[in-house]
Amino acid sequence: MLKKLQVLADAAKYDVSCSSSGSNRPARDGGLGNAARAGICHSFTEDGRCISLLKILYTNHCIYDCAYCINRRSNDVPRAAFSVDELVDLTINFYRRNYIEGLFLSSGVVVSPDHTMERLIAVARKLREEQHFNGYIHMKAIPGASPGLVAEAGLYADRLSVNIEIPSETNLRLLAPEKDFSSVLNPMDQIHTGIVVNKEERKKFRKAPRFVPAGQSTQLIVGASPESDFDILKLASGFYRQQQLKRVYYSGFVPVNQSDSRLPALQKPPLLRENRLYQADWLMRFYEFRFDEILDNKNLFLDPNMDPKLAWALRNPQYFPVDLNSAPYESILRVPGIGVRSAKLIAANRRFGSITFTHLKRMGVALNRARYFILCRELPMQVRDLNPVYLRRKLAPTKEKQSIQLSLFENE
Amino acid sequence: MNKLIPSNLCFVYDGSFEGFLNSVFECFERRVFPEAMIPSSRPSQLLLGETLQVDADPQRAGRVRDGIVRRSSHRNASILQVAFLSELPGVEMLLLRYLQKLFADPTGQYWQNMLDDEVFELIQISRKVKKEVHRFHGFVRFQKTADGMYFAPIEPDHNIIKLLAGHFRERFATQQWIIYDTRRNYGIYYDLHSVKEMVFENHRIDFISGNVAQEVKDMDEDFYSTLWKEYYDAINIIERQNHRQMTNLMPKRYWKYLPEKGNKGPEQ
Repeated sequence: MLKKLQVLADAAKYDVSCSSSGSNRPARDGGLGNAARAGICHSFTEDGRCISLLKILYTNHCIYDCAYCINRRSNDVPRAAFSVDELVDLTINFYRRNYIEGLFLSSGVVVSPDHTMERLIAVARKLREEQHFNGYIHMKAIPGASPGLVAEAGLYADRLSVNIEIPSETNLRLLAPEKDFSSVLNPMDQIHTGIVVNKEERKKFRKAPRFVPAGQSTQLIVGASPESDFDILKLASGFYRQQQLKRVYYSGFVPVNQSDSRLPALQKPPLLRENRLYQADWLMRFYEFRFDEILDNKNLFLDPNMDPKLAWALRNPQYFPVDLNSAPYESILRVPGIGVRSAKLIAANRRFGSITFTHLKRMGVALNRARYFILCRELPMQVRDLNPVYLRRKLAPTKEKQSIQLSLFENE
Repeated sequence: MNKLIPSNLCFVYDGSFEGFLNSVFECFERRVFPEAMIPSSRPSQLLLGETLQVDADPQRAGRVRDGIVRRSSHRNASILQVAFLSELPGVEMLLLRYLQKLFADPTGQYWQNMLDDEVFELIQISRKVKKEVHRFHGFVRFQKTADGMYFAPIEPDHNIIKLLAGHFRERFATQQWIIYDTRRNYGIYYDLHSVKEMVFENHRIDFISGNVAQEVKDMDEDFYSTLWKEYYDAINIIERQNHRQMTNLMPKRYWKYLPEKGNKGPEQ
């Protein structure tokens, strides 16, 4: 059991998603557990990521041979497989000790996508129906699994995800010869339709069973193939708008298979690039930015030297300065250094008096950036004359600062 | 009309929120703004003025609470209570300054004005306490005992144990559990029906490591905690090592009772 856990947790760790949020599954009489809408982190690993779910593979045997994956069939790695009962027992005992929020179950593909999907469903079914487990379950929809099985999985899982992995079809076919976009997009569309239909049903019949109440997510690998940040954000934006995904995860490519000529030779995973993509993703989800505002045909990559919001502001000086005492919330939200919480605080409290630097500071505004983009009585006149060239030099980190910033993401 | 006159009086109350509200009642009745308000468990040699012992009086405390609700909202009253549970030194005086303004406010909007120093500071403090409550929804670690009880020791910064009751009662309704604050020496016990406050008289727990004595542990306890530790190590990606971020999100002072961190806090 110990050996299996080591092998199958180790093999599952490159899936970055671990969120347990978005589902409000109330406790039931005689049942174990519930799901909290906000999500709960139970621990944090040495790499700084949250552990919320028992993230594990059913098996790491795989019939596929994807170039970027540690579990591909041509790799000589220790293989293992759980039984349904072992996984159920492990989940329940971890949950009762409050180690975890629930289970994140994925798997290598054994025999066929349908065969694998059936095994995953068996675990979830047993947890829900025999153990009356009400905690969080995140399940992978295996690309290529039949619609009937995906629909059944959705009745047990809080969240389903299908990983796109490689951001363009050409490169996906190159790196994962057994996969194509439609094997990922079909189940994604099916889940999306299922969620929409289920919402309507639950309006009419409140007791109708829930279908994937925490929505779906996907993951794509950054830096294993040559797509630009613009391509990636365009793809992600489409997922948010069309399939209404809850999250797109960006995983900086960790070169697990050293000797594959189809892959770039990287010294370290591109963590700074990954971080900038997450910042851009936040701008799309919480700051009402469109992907083609963040980047465009002339700017294909995010600037490593500054966050994408600051970069946008410097390219668009016509929107500034913003008068905090009168501007609409949406404009305040676009000021570099002002976050969602502080923008809301400013909008809600300016009726009590004019907002000063002291107020801004304790609301958590980063004044070192924001001061160049706002109108505020206390600012000296010359600061109000915004000169993007000068500001770019002033706000981009110096060599020294840059290395400190980088060390935040890299081995110290 | 509600003007309080500064005095060198020091109120000593029983440490409970009710006791504190009762001291507030005394302040307004006597029209005094005391030098300090101090829980009896935290005696101070620095008290220069005259001290006044205030006992808990549910009726008077209730009147102050009603006054707060009437002039703001239920939600706001509970924000104040959460801030009180921070046990930060001086939070009582901060609350008193706030209440003085609240009770004198003709507009009925004082409590919503985050530009006010006291309002802002109290909301910040209550956010801090709630953040710790949220953290402990994750950081509580139960050990199963031979008689089927799940026991978890904790040592939070703020006095949050009662704020944990609702979450754990709902989540673990089918198992008996105890969550125990080893520093404040009291806990909450769920007996499958309701949650009660409790204090250990004698116990078989090592408060340094938080471990239940071997002979009262469930047979499988070490098996699962070992699996958990192995899982914790296996899920880490070495190429992405980021110790600083880990300790930001899970500060060392909380490691003491976490098996995956070897039950080692900052001292060891």
